Amino acid sequence: MSVLGSLLNTGLSLWRSSLQLCTTHLHTGACLRVRMHAIPPLKQVDRWTEKRSMFGIYDNIGILGDFKAHPKELIKGPEWLRGFRGNEYQRLIRKKRMVGDRMMTEDKLVLEKRLRFLYRRFNRYGKHR
Amino acid sequence: MFRATFTICTRGIATRLISSISGESTLPSNLRLPANLIGAPRQKAALPTGSELPVLRTCDADIPAHLAPVQTWLHSLKSDESEPLGVVELHPDVFSVPVRLDILHAVEVWQRNFKRISHAKVKSRAEVRGGGRKPWKQKGSGRARHGSIRSPIWRGGGVAHGPRGPTSYYYMLPMKVRVQGLKIALTAKLAQDYLHVIDSLEIPTPDPRYLEELVKHRQWGDSVLIVDVGEEFSPNILQATANLKTVNIIPAIGLNVHSMLKHESLVLTLEAVKFLEKKLLWHDCRFTALYPFKLPYSDMP
Repeated sequence: MSVLGSLLNTGLSLWRSSLQLCTTHLHTGACLRVRMHAIPPLKQVDRWTEKRSMFGIYDNIGILGDFKAHPKELIKGPEWLRGFRGNEYQRLIRKKRMVGDRMMTEDKLVLEKRLRFLYRRFNRYGKHR
Repeated sequence: MFRATFTICTRGIATRLISSISGESTLPSNLRLPANLIGAPRQKAALPTGSELPVLRTCDADIPAHLAPVQTWLHSLKSDESEPLGVVELHPDVFSVPVRLDILHAVEVWQRNFKRISHAKVKSRAEVRGGGRKPWKQKGSGRARHGSIRSPIWRGGGVAHGPRGPTSYYYMLPMKVRVQGLKIALTAKLAQDYLHVIDSLEIPTPDPRYLEELVKHRQWGDSVLIVDVGEEFSPNILQATANLKTVNIIPAIGLNVHSMLKHESLVLTLEAVKFLEKKLLWHDCRFTALYPFKLPYSDMP
């Protein structure tokens, strides 16, 4: 019993001391610091996954494949962006024309609001009008 | 203490003096390669000029008078021995063009970028929820004037000049530049002795270890790209390369600069060489397109 009591006592005192330490450090800002004993190990990246080793394949499909296909048909992404590059206004116009009739009401409202804003911005403000 | 450092110093100076006087080797010791190094530098195979082996292939296309065909060895995957079967002649306008690294770089950058679509998007002050009401009166409160709690200088406000929506980075390089990039990559691989021509893709076993041993024995480097014409490959080679990450097999239509640069060595079959020469040489003598090449022309190759 006495042994257990003494153990409890020591545990309590230890806890108290650690709490004290922590509070003292809290004021100095040292307790919150990230403990770092070494430089974290570098992330191990497999450079030869299927996706990486097959990257870029069929990019010359037009030249080597009798022009039956075009590399822009390999692009995966939103359909209004495949094989198209433009500024935000041009992209939004293209989106509205291609998928505007299928958009939800709120999305369409946001899109039109942005288009209005960009129209004014590009046509009324700025140096390069 | 002092004596010890003094003796060490004198010893170092003495050894340096002796080594400089004797001059036993030209390279200093930290630059000399140890004899038992594992990744020993590979030896370049001797060029097949003046060998007795038969020339097994000549170019179909006409070679300009001022150029000579490039010769290389013809190997086989059927057996493990590294003796070449014969000599092949390659067209100098495909396999020996001036190596323009800027074109190679432009093609590589194009390959990385033209299919890129960035989905980064942040909300502007108009799209963040709320913020319609003026937080406090313009005058009299003693605080700074503000019109919306979603203005970019507020915490939790919208972002000014942030990335907007899915963005495409598509552009096309001129076709002749892309063709030239392919030619330059093939030339560079051949010049560095990393281009190997084989007769066919027949291998005796579907065991991947056989292929691994072969690659190691012939010093084909860490990674190998095998190119053949047809879309269908024999089951043996497909099974052997299925689980090898760094040995990849692609049809000739899929050949591109990025894959050639990523893989250390390039292995072409004879049909693939013929196919590539035909497709790439046509651009040297073609006319400018009147209408897109995908529409029917009477004189397409």
